[in-house]
Amino acid sequence: MPNDASKTMQHQHLLNTRELSCVRGENTLFEKLNMDVSEGQCVHIVGENGSGKTSLLRILCGLNKPENGQILWCDDSINLSDQLAKELIYVGHKDGLKNELTAIENLAFQQRLECHYDEDLLDDALAKLKILHCADLAAQALSFGQRRRLAFARLLLSPKKIWVLDEPFTGIDVSGRTLIEQLCVEHLKRKGAIVLSHHQSLQASPLNHFTTELLIESFRPQKESEQTKARKEILGVGS
Amino acid sequence: MNTLILYFQREWQLMFRNTGTLIQPLVFFTIIALLFPFSLPAEADLLQRIGGGVIWVAAVLATLLSLESMFKADYEDGTLEQSIIHHRSLALAMLGKVMAHWTATGLILSLFSPILSLTFNIPSEQIWVLFVGLLLGTPSLTLVGAIGAALTVTLRRGGVLIAIIILPLYIPILIFGAGMLTQSAQGLEIISQVYTLSAIFVLSLTLAPFAIAGSLRATIT
Repeated sequence: MPNDASKTMQHQHLLNTRELSCVRGENTLFEKLNMDVSEGQCVHIVGENGSGKTSLLRILCGLNKPENGQILWCDDSINLSDQLAKELIYVGHKDGLKNELTAIENLAFQQRLECHYDEDLLDDALAKLKILHCADLAAQALSFGQRRRLAFARLLLSPKKIWVLDEPFTGIDVSGRTLIEQLCVEHLKRKGAIVLSHHQSLQASPLNHFTTELLIESFRPQKESEQTKARKEILGVGS
Repeated sequence: MNTLILYFQREWQLMFRNTGTLIQPLVFFTIIALLFPFSLPAEADLLQRIGGGVIWVAAVLATLLSLESMFKADYEDGTLEQSIIHHRSLALAMLGKVMAHWTATGLILSLFSPILSLTFNIPSEQIWVLFVGLLLGTPSLTLVGAIGAALTVTLRRGGVLIAIIILPLYIPILIFGAGMLTQSAQGLEIISQVYTLSAIFVLSLTLAPFAIAGSLRATIT
């Protein structure tokens, strides 16, 4: 599966999943999913809507519990949740911003939680995403795209190893997308790692060089659930 | 400790930019308590006897009303997810948040209760008893209530469920809080009630944050 195995070999494994499976209601979304994330590598999770991309990312963050399997940090499952939480940052569908606070206050809160407050770094992060002019606007006054950019500015505040990005390019214009791709490439070059889900191919993007695709459907169990089978029989669709 | 202070500060900032939610519990508290003098026969003695209990019930209802919104906004905008992922203690973070929430509900209600006592013609010695009782009791109300709020955060209409889960747990606090007033009206010592309320407060202060963090984790994941 990895398209440039030689490159990933020389880097250290950061995150592995072992035999991970996830069940939603009656359906098993994926099972026996093994994934390796190494330094300087971007794992692109490909799949249809409802195939379990978001579920997988949330499991990695510890927001969902897997049905089976485990996640290893640096080939070691000891103290996983602590270590992983320190090194992981997640930008999901919800942007995690407080409407009442200004852009800069939202970022400053994140930074203070990490116990290092640096005003220049905040301005720098906003400038990098080209939203410096919105610094003192309340988050509720920002447009959807600007909010997304602000959510991504969080990534730049603290040196976390793994970025977990769920559909990072939704609601973002072309120049924003280029910006984010650039930031991702910089992060990968600094030996960071990225796990992202995106419904389109990253072939044309500068990230392509670092990317390993993971087709989530290939981990779907062949056996269909009883209900789905029954439904297909009623509809007369062959399985 | 840093986490607790940060969350406390942020919550204050949010409340003062959203003054509507800040005033709501106090207005509700006042109206509930004022309904009684209007609806009961005009006997000064009657109001005096039931006044303390009515103010306590009003405080419980006002706290309950404010609970639903406690974690809702955080859940909807994704900041709760971020707090859960973060490696800092979720229990401490949520304690900071709950404490800030108490200052906007319990503390303000306690401070306002002497004025309400006047409408019930409660004698001035007993106003102190009521005030101290509320000051000791309302933090426990908020802390225990926050567990219910955490359990129902993902539900669309969780308010009624919170009431069903939490109101039975409020009964001990109510018994000792309102009991203080009855005792002092009869000229008896109230120190045992003060101790009991303090014990409940300490117990909920030490255990509730972990229960809140646990239920938030369980409901979100």
